[in-house]
Amino acid sequence: MLTSLYVEGQSWFHRVPVRLKLIALLILSVALFTTNAPFLLLPAFLLCGALYLSLGMTARQAFSRVGFVLFTILVLAAVNLFLVPFPDVVALVLRLAALVLFAAAVTTTTTIGAFMDEITILLKPLERLGLLRAADVSLALGLVLRFVPDIFARYQAISEAHRARGLPIRPLTIIGPLIILTLKDADTIAAAIDARGFRRQ
Amino acid sequence: MNTRDLVLIALFAAIVVVLGLIPPITLGFIPVPITAQSMGVMLAGCIIGAKRGALAFLLFILLVAIGLPVLSGGRGGLAVFAGPSGGFILGWAVAAFVTGLIAERFVHQGNSEGRQFVGFFLASVIGGIVVLYAIGVPWLSAVTGTPLTAAATGSLVFIPGDLLKAAIATLAARAVYAGYPLLPARA
Repeated sequence: MLTSLYVEGQSWFHRVPVRLKLIALLILSVALFTTNAPFLLLPAFLLCGALYLSLGMTARQAFSRVGFVLFTILVLAAVNLFLVPFPDVVALVLRLAALVLFAAAVTTTTTIGAFMDEITILLKPLERLGLLRAADVSLALGLVLRFVPDIFARYQAISEAHRARGLPIRPLTIIGPLIILTLKDADTIAAAIDARGFRRQ
Repeated sequence: MNTRDLVLIALFAAIVVVLGLIPPITLGFIPVPITAQSMGVMLAGCIIGAKRGALAFLLFILLVAIGLPVLSGGRGGLAVFAGPSGGFILGWAVAAFVTGLIAERFVHQGNSEGRQFVGFFLASVIGGIVVLYAIGVPWLSAVTGTPLTAAATGSLVFIPGDLLKAAIATLAARAVYAGYPLLPARA
């Protein structure tokens, strides 16, 4: 049900370590905001676009992942045409599109496991301060992936119940029962986790 | 944090994911379709409280960041943070926290039903609308270069829909509070 946006591939960008990709994204997002010059932003946009398209996705697949964000950028650019000078609008579209494409390229080439390894490392300082435990974050993430299909099935059951009674399916009458039924499981799940000693308490 | 809190946080994040899978409702008098997911912030704060609500949303944001298509419409990945509305997504955690703070402060078991409704509605409006826009709009303005006043005026289009969401969230939160109260009390 929840399949990651990672796409398997053999491109060189797939082989770059996650940390390097994330650092590059961070540097790029800072660097692109320091300039308004189209002769810097246009190559950046073209490079990011070429990188994104070289990852082995079909054009349709590639577009459907970023289309929505690119659409918002264009809508805002259309609004901006009336408010800010034209060269600035061009700079803004190029800059944001470049960033979005690079970010999408990182997402496409990085598995959830690789991201989680990096996140565990990033959480280490917080763990040392005693604020949280990295293992808890992974456990919570696993729980979400485990329970989304169950909760969705429950949503469908409640919708069916509405239909069987001839009631219109409204969020108001669905959300309440859905949340109560789901959260009522918390005690059982917590007991099951503790019984298995996952959190070593 | 005990295991029950951890489980509640994870389950709520999972509920928010499922809310994104529900088809959005379109209403004649509001130009933008209403996604059930965007009510999640208000629901999280009002139902599981400030701390757990905020953590549920941090977990949800983490899911988006590591490339799971959990946002409504199957969106996700780092690209959404780089886009113009990244501030709204990051702002969800703060918005859920503020919603929770207000709900914990104003809603108590002994209150009359009407007062609980008022408390949840205030919490949803201040946390889920005021705080969220206070983060999202300046972010959008900074990222896109749209002047702040124009960005703020433009987002007024979404306010009627948001008020409606706050009303639905209020009713749902109060129903959950009556059936299975989880909101911690705060003096």
